[in-house]
Order: sequence, then C-alpha cells, then structure tokens
Amino acid sequence: MWNEYKRTWYFFRRNTLAMVGLGIILAFVIVAVYAIATPVPWNALTLYCGTSGGTVSCANEVCTYTPPAAPPGPNCYATPNGFPAFVAPTISLSTLSLGPLPFGSLSTTDGGTPYFYNIFDGLLRGTDWSLFISLSVVAGGALIGLLLGAVSGYMGGLVDETIMRLTDIFLSIPFILWVIIVVAVVSTDLGSVISASYLSIYILIVALMAVWWPTYTRIVRGQVLVVREQKYVEAARASGAKRGRIILRHIVPNSVYPVFVQMSLDVGTIPLLIGTLIFLGFKLFPTVYFPEWGDMAANAVNPFLITGIFDDCVIGLCTIPWWQLFFPGIVIFLFAISVNLFSDGVRDALDPRMRR
Amino acid sequence: MRMWIYIIRRVLLLLPVIIGVMTITFVLINALPIVDQMEALYGCTPKACDYTVGSPLYNRAYAALGFGEPVYTRWAVYMFHALTFNWGTVSAESSVGKSLLVGVATAGVPVATVFSWLLPYTLELALLSLAIILAVAIPLGNLAAVNRNRPVDQASRVLSFSGFALPSFLLGSLILIGAVIGIGSLINFGLIHTPWCPSGELVYSEFSGSWPTTACFAGDIYPSWLLHSGLQSTPTGFPTIDALIHGNYWLALDTLIRIILPALVIAFGTIAVLLRYVRNSMLEVMNLDFVRTARAKGVEESVVVNRHAGRNSLNVTLTVLGLTFAGFLAGFPVIESVFSLNGIGYILAIAVDNQIGSFDFGVIFGSVILFTYIIVTANIIVDVLYAYLDPRVRLG
Repeated sequence: MWNEYKRTWYFFRRNTLAMVGLGIILAFVIVAVYAIATPVPWNALTLYCGTSGGTVSCANEVCTYTPPAAPPGPNCYATPNGFPAFVAPTISLSTLSLGPLPFGSLSTTDGGTPYFYNIFDGLLRGTDWSLFISLSVVAGGALIGLLLGAVSGYMGGLVDETIMRLTDIFLSIPFILWVIIVVAVVSTDLGSVISASYLSIYILIVALMAVWWPTYTRIVRGQVLVVREQKYVEAARASGAKRGRIILRHIVPNSVYPVFVQMSLDVGTIPLLIGTLIFLGFKLFPTVYFPEWGDMAANAVNPFLITGIFDDCVIGLCTIPWWQLFFPGIVIFLFAISVNLFSDGVRDALDPRMRR
Repeated sequence: MRMWIYIIRRVLLLLPVIIGVMTITFVLINALPIVDQMEALYGCTPKACDYTVGSPLYNRAYAALGFGEPVYTRWAVYMFHALTFNWGTVSAESSVGKSLLVGVATAGVPVATVFSWLLPYTLELALLSLAIILAVAIPLGNLAAVNRNRPVDQASRVLSFSGFALPSFLLGSLILIGAVIGIGSLINFGLIHTPWCPSGELVYSEFSGSWPTTACFAGDIYPSWLLHSGLQSTPTGFPTIDALIHGNYWLALDTLIRIILPALVIAFGTIAVLLRYVRNSMLEVMNLDFVRTARAKGVEESVVVNRHAGRNSLNVTLTVLGLTFAGFLAGFPVIESVFSLNGIGYILAIAVDNQIGSFDFGVIFGSVILFTYIIVTANIIVDVLYAYLDPRVRLG
C-alpha cells in the first residue's frame, strides 16, 4: 500500500503542470488557514478614503474611525473587515476609483443602493468560506455516491436496478437545471425563515449535495463491479465476512481512486456554480455582499456596474473598473485550474498506461 | 428491420427516465406552498390573478388540479398534463409575466407556446456554437494527441482547463464590455440586459454619437427594420431564416452578428470538455494494431493520422458531441442573459429572477420537462448513429 503511494507520488512529481496545480492549492489552503486563525469581528473596520472626479488621490490612506462616530471626511468609506459593507449612498461610476489597495474596491448594488467593499479583504475572508462550501458539498455528495454506488454494485439485482435508474434520471438533465429548481423551491419554502442568517448557507450546501451524488454513484458502481470479482473479496467472503464488512473494508477502499479524481475536479467548479446562481438572481447568502469568491465575481458584473460603464462611456468618461472584474475572476480561475491540473496529474499517475 | 427493433427498444428503455424526471418535478412542486403550485400549474392573466384562498380563481384551480383528491390521482393528472405539453400558463405576477419576450407580453400564454417561440433562437445560437466547436476542438485535439506531452499538448491542456475554470458570466461580460467599448460604433449590440430594467420593459441600445447608450424603453426607439417583430410574419420562427425569407438581408446579417460573440463564449467553455475526449480517444486509437500496420506499410503520416486514426476516433467524439448539443438546447441561461438574447435559457433566467416578480415555476418546471424530451430524443439519435457508424455495436 505504502509503496503504491510512493510510486504514484513519483509519477505525479514528474508532471510539472500537476505540481504547479498542487502548489497553488497549497497556497490557497494556507490562506484559508490564516483566515480561520485570525477571525475578524463584525465591527472591526478598515477604512479607506474615496475619491472624487475620477482621480485616485487618497486610495492608500487608512483613516481610523469607530462606527458610531461621524466619518472624518465626506469620502471616507467604512468597510467592516471581512464583511464588505455599505458605503457611499450616491455615486456615479465616473467617480469610481480603485479604492483600497492592493486589489481595489468592488462596487455592487442591492435594490439600487450601492455598496463598496474591499476586494482584498473579501477574497481573503472568502477563501475559507469558498473552500468550506466546496469541500462540504463535494464530500457530502461523494459520500452519498460512494455508499449508493458500493451497495448498488455489490448487491446487484433489484437494488442495483433501482439505484441506477434513479441515477440515470438525475444525470439525464443538466446539473444546473436541478440546482436551479431545488434552490428555487427551497428558497420559496424557507425564504422568510432563513433570510439574513447563516442558515441559508447550510441549506445551500445540503441542496447542492442532494443533486451532486449521481456522478459518484455511477463511477463507484463501475469500479465496484471490477473490484467485486477480485480474489481478495472472494477470500473474505469464503472466510465468512459479513456483507457490510466486505463492502466497507474491502470494496470501498479499493474503488475510491476515481472518486478522488472526480472530487478534486468538482471542488473547483463549486465557486463557479455559486457565482452562476447568484448571477442569475438567486439570493444564496445572508447579505448581497458576502465574502465568497463566486458571489464576488457575480457582483463584479452587476447591472449597476455594466450599465454604468456604458452610460459613462456615452458622456466621454469611460471608466472600466478592471480591478473588480479581474481579481475575483483570477482567484476563481486559479483555484479551478489548479484543481483541474492536480486531478489530471493524479489520474495520469494512477493510470499505468499514461505513465512514462 | 433490426434497426427498427433496436430503436423501439431504446425508446422503451428511456421511458422510465421521462416518467422519473416528471415524478421528481411533481414531488418538488408539491413541496411548494399551495398558492405557488396553482400559479405554476394553472397560471393567470393580468386581468384576473388573485390567488388568495377562497377567490374564484383559487377555487377553479383547486378543482382543476385535483387538490381534494389523493396524491396518486394528482400525480396522474400532473403526468397527463406534463406528457401532453400542458405545462401551465405564464402567471401575470411572475417575473416572466412582467417581462416582454420576443417583443411580446407573455402573461397568460401557455408555457409550451412561449417555449416554441424561443426554441428557434436557442437553436440558432447552438448551431453556430457547434460549428465553432467542431472547427476548433477536433483539429486541436488530434494535434494534441499526435504531439503528446509536447508543448502543443500542454498548451491545449491549459486552454482546455481555462475553459473549465473561467466563469462564463465573467467571460461573457468582459467580452460584452470590450465589444461595446471597442467596436460599439461599428456594431449595434442591440438588446442589452433586459432583466435589469426595473419594470421589465425591453432594453434597447441606440446610437448616440459614437457610443451605444443603453436604457429601458417601452417605446419603439430601435429602428423597426432591425427589429425581428417588425417583420410582417415569422413563418419559421428562426430569426435569421425569417429575415432571409422576407428578403431583409441586413436583418439576417444583424441577427448573425449578434450571436457571434455569445457563440464564441459558449464554444470556449465546451471546447474544454470536447478537447479532452478527442485527444484521449485519438491516443487510444493511435495505439491500435491497424494504425501500426498502416505505418509499417509506409503510409504517409498525415494519412495515418487523418484517415486511419482520425476517422476511427470520431465515435466517442460523436457521442459526447451529440449529448453536448442536446445540452445546448436546454438553453444558455447565463450567456443569453448576459447578451440579452431571446431563448430558452433566457426565459429560465428571468423565471428565477425574483426581483421583478415571483419565481415562475411553470417556466422552471416546464424547461426541465422540455429538456427531458430533448435529451431522450438526442440519446436515441446518438445511439442509432453510433450503431450505424460502428458495425461492431450489436443491435440485439
């Protein structure tokens, strides 16, 4: 077993792109650990000065002020650290500046009220939320899929037939449609109960899990059908092991590799999926300005921004706030591409035909 | 004859999928509050849309949908309606009912009718995307397989992963912003971001100086000769074909230009998936005996790659492509709403945007059922094509 891991690692290590992927993933994990280790209370504020007239005059300045007191200047914007928050009530895009460095500020809108938030803070605090949501959805979905697939593949017969037809039904429709109807139904049913509370995030996770398992079930079943015929399973059965023990101790451990590959692929797609849902208009988080990458990317292309860009261009003050499209986008991109490269490397390392 | 038996068997095997999907949608609909169920399944017109308990509409819907009956009766009623394309009516209170689609108010119109208006638009976009995908993915995939693990292969791998990793709403918006700012004075991008208008009127973009302005107009700002609904009749429903039938070549060109950028965005995301399949199936075929024989015979390398290996590797590609294309027909909710294109995905995007009105569950569930039909048909077509192309597939 240990030798097998070492051999896999040996072949994995020779794949440069996969190693780059692993490096980026590790960097994200370190950032997430940092974000968890230094929790920021709601009322701790980082402040920055806004600008007017389209010139970035005081983007680097950090003012100090505590919420009940009046802001020291007319363009001094308060941003609760981690929970990007409210700012200037009236602002035109032509006066939009980069905002606090290094990544600038992200403007979004909720029912016409503009909100600005610190992109660096949002991305930093978003790391743990994004990883948490992605990992829990994928882990939950994979666990359900693993159990159903193992049972289905091992038992065969009517059980197999039932589970596989159910899987077919779920897989026959694009995933996004299932997510849309489940989230729409759940948010209609529970809308008033969950608004403005963390509960909505947990419900989102469960809703995603509920439609996430079929791919895994199919993968695991295929794998189990192969493993089940192996000699060691036969030996276990001959020595009188119970069915549950055979499934959990012999079959599942030997069918999980493809599941790991699929899991690492899926982890990267969840921030994209969440961004897509928010872009389509779902309220998934307690606030419109929530530190989650998908949410930030979707907010970066909000109507306020895009119509604002077009309107301003008409009057000759064309400002493209590239930073708010670029930074959330690049983080999602890096995360997704790194898990893709990583899982591709793992797959190649595990597949003897792909080894060089 | 054997082919017919094969087709019939495939259809019968897919029946459980249709019934299953509909049953799951039935379960989900039943999880909704009763008034939402009625709105979804019974709909309402702007004149009468009062679903408070005890109102005449409520009572009629209660009887028609069989709410007094046991669950299995309601399931049977639901299945009957779902199978006969009776997917409810667009409710006047919903976000879809409050918007204009294809320049027409849809409140009170049956969901299936609205879909039949929109499907041709999506189909045109899907076909253009497919053309781009075919033109790029297959040659590039073959190239990557031939140059395995060389720079070309690595580059195509990174390109393919980029397609997975870039959110399409972000890429689409970037391209839209770039296009409007860069070539806005050359091309009128037309309808931009309809769902963002507070009252849901159409958003027209209009030339003002060198930049197109966007605003919410209910009126006829857009030149009528460029407006699809400005045509006297729409015999086929396909915007480009209709324009050609009427001899309005500028409109046809305009319609095509509008879908080029969205098609590129869609293609970029899909090429990612297809490229891997083309490459891997090509790699598998390249290792087979007949390819080695061909090489040993001294057949030119380009002929080996294109004729011997290329053609034989197309089977897997065809399957993936068929199902991808079927997936396209579910519409592109994100891309169609970024570029404000009419289509199946666009109406779904409006239906789930509850800032304008309530969710339109009739449209949401209708698109699931519509898509089930599409995917089942596509599955059968792909299976039959597969059997036709590869004699080794047993029809039995």
